[in-house]
Amino acid sequence: MLSIKNLYSGYGKLRVLYDVNVEVPKKEITVIVGPNGAGKTTLLNSILGFADVFSGKIYLDDKDMTGTPAHRIAQLGISFVPQLGSVFANLTLKENLIMAAYTLPKKEVDKRMEQVLEMFPIIKEFFHRKAGTLSGGERRMLSIGMGLMRNPKIMLLDEPSTDLAPLITKEVMRTIKRLRDEIGLTVLLVEQMAKLALDIGDNAYLLVSGQIKFKGKAKELLQHPELSKLYLGIKE
Amino acid sequence: MPGWLASGLVYASGLALTSGGITFLYITTRTFNFAHASMATFGFYVVYTFVALKGGNPYIYFPLAFLFGSLLGIIVYFILNRPLLKRKANEITLMMSTLGYDLILLSLIQMYCDYLTHTYKLYPRRVTMSVYDIQIGGMNASTYFAPITAVLIITALSLFLTRTKFGIAMRATIENTPLSEASGINSDKVYMTSWVIGGGMASLGGAVLAMATTGSPVLGMNLIANMFAGAILGGLYSIYGGLFGGFVVGLAEYAIVYWLAESVGTWVLGYRLAIPLLIMVVTLLFFPRGLAGIQWRRIFKSLSSKKGEAS
Repeated sequence: MLSIKNLYSGYGKLRVLYDVNVEVPKKEITVIVGPNGAGKTTLLNSILGFADVFSGKIYLDDKDMTGTPAHRIAQLGISFVPQLGSVFANLTLKENLIMAAYTLPKKEVDKRMEQVLEMFPIIKEFFHRKAGTLSGGERRMLSIGMGLMRNPKIMLLDEPSTDLAPLITKEVMRTIKRLRDEIGLTVLLVEQMAKLALDIGDNAYLLVSGQIKFKGKAKELLQHPELSKLYLGIKE
Repeated sequence: MPGWLASGLVYASGLALTSGGITFLYITTRTFNFAHASMATFGFYVVYTFVALKGGNPYIYFPLAFLFGSLLGIIVYFILNRPLLKRKANEITLMMSTLGYDLILLSLIQMYCDYLTHTYKLYPRRVTMSVYDIQIGGMNASTYFAPITAVLIITALSLFLTRTKFGIAMRATIENTPLSEASGINSDKVYMTSWVIGGGMASLGGAVLAMATTGSPVLGMNLIANMFAGAILGGLYSIYGGLFGGFVVGLAEYAIVYWLAESVGTWVLGYRLAIPLLIMVVTLLFFPRGLAGIQWRRIFKSLSSKKGEAS
């Protein structure tokens, strides 16, 4: 579905990613793990048009989407749940959902909103409250709900565990898994908490210093020595 | 109504519109617009030109001042602001670019004044717009129309930002541009609309200000510090704060000057500009987030609980 080929990208003169190749198959969860500063967020920013792509290509359903302006990406069927600032804190939950489906016609928005509210009853409970009043976990659920408003082909999630208590993080991960299992959502999940993400993932990539060091099945990566060294603090 | 209050209301309303426009442009495009000075002057000349050449009272041309100001805003956006925003220019660059634009606009306005003099035998370099005013209940109509205009603009802006899909999208973009873009909102359109609204408000504000002061090519330039004082007092992160701040600065300026002139002497009128500057300094020193940043609810709560304890 989403295919990244020989990607070199960064910001201005700063190069962050070097020859990155990633395949995200349909209806599966693909996990990108790596330490802080590995370039995980830059990878998502390159897909979303926020980072500068120096060379390489990004394809969605075999169509080249490299360099597409950020506001057009949503119309291609890609939704994004950022690590920080994932909701509009000064808007109500209802306004947040409407904004998430900005380019869709009103009828479609109403239909999608009904489905999202059914999936996330917590949003319905605080529908007319400002999103800034929600707890961290509630915000994350809202942001995933927002991501679903466009009925996306693929959802990109950037470190959804950030700032969340361990129990809430597990609940968020369960929700992502549920979306794959129940509605067949394709997910590209970027996460620093490797074990949690790899537990629910189908495929995995290990990104270190802007380069892919491993690609394969998520379960295999859990056993990878480099992963242990990076995440368990075992030095070479 | 005392004379100073009547003129003060007109002046404060004009300042509210211009300060509100400065704040609006700053929070949407990160641009401190110094060109607001000449954009306000431009609005005055739009109204003056129509009044002088077509006749009628100034108020019927206020919508035109807004419209022409909006067009000017679009020009600024496409020629100057957009290319710099695309290059991710910092706030200083954005601000300095508007200063350059202001000087260009001022020169064009000077040329336009010469054109009016040579072609129509008009004298547009020192205009008292109040002579074109109409009387309502023994007072200049501007005493009523200026505050009404400001309230109408605030109401329209409020309805636009809270009740329309694009208005909500503007608020979303102001708060979190990357997320709004990822949601499909075109920030380019949002920025352009900001210049339409900001330019319109500057121009309309200038037209209103000319009803209380002398209209000249440097009308806006003479008042730019006052406009910024209003924007800073209101809090640069709140649109309504900017409008309210401008109003407070304008009214305070008139009230204090009147009081000082009465008690000290009319010679203090020459130091009038010190008042908005003093307000700006005090705001920046003691509550840099302006009136909008003060937690009024907490203050009122503690005041009412102290009252309760005392009784």
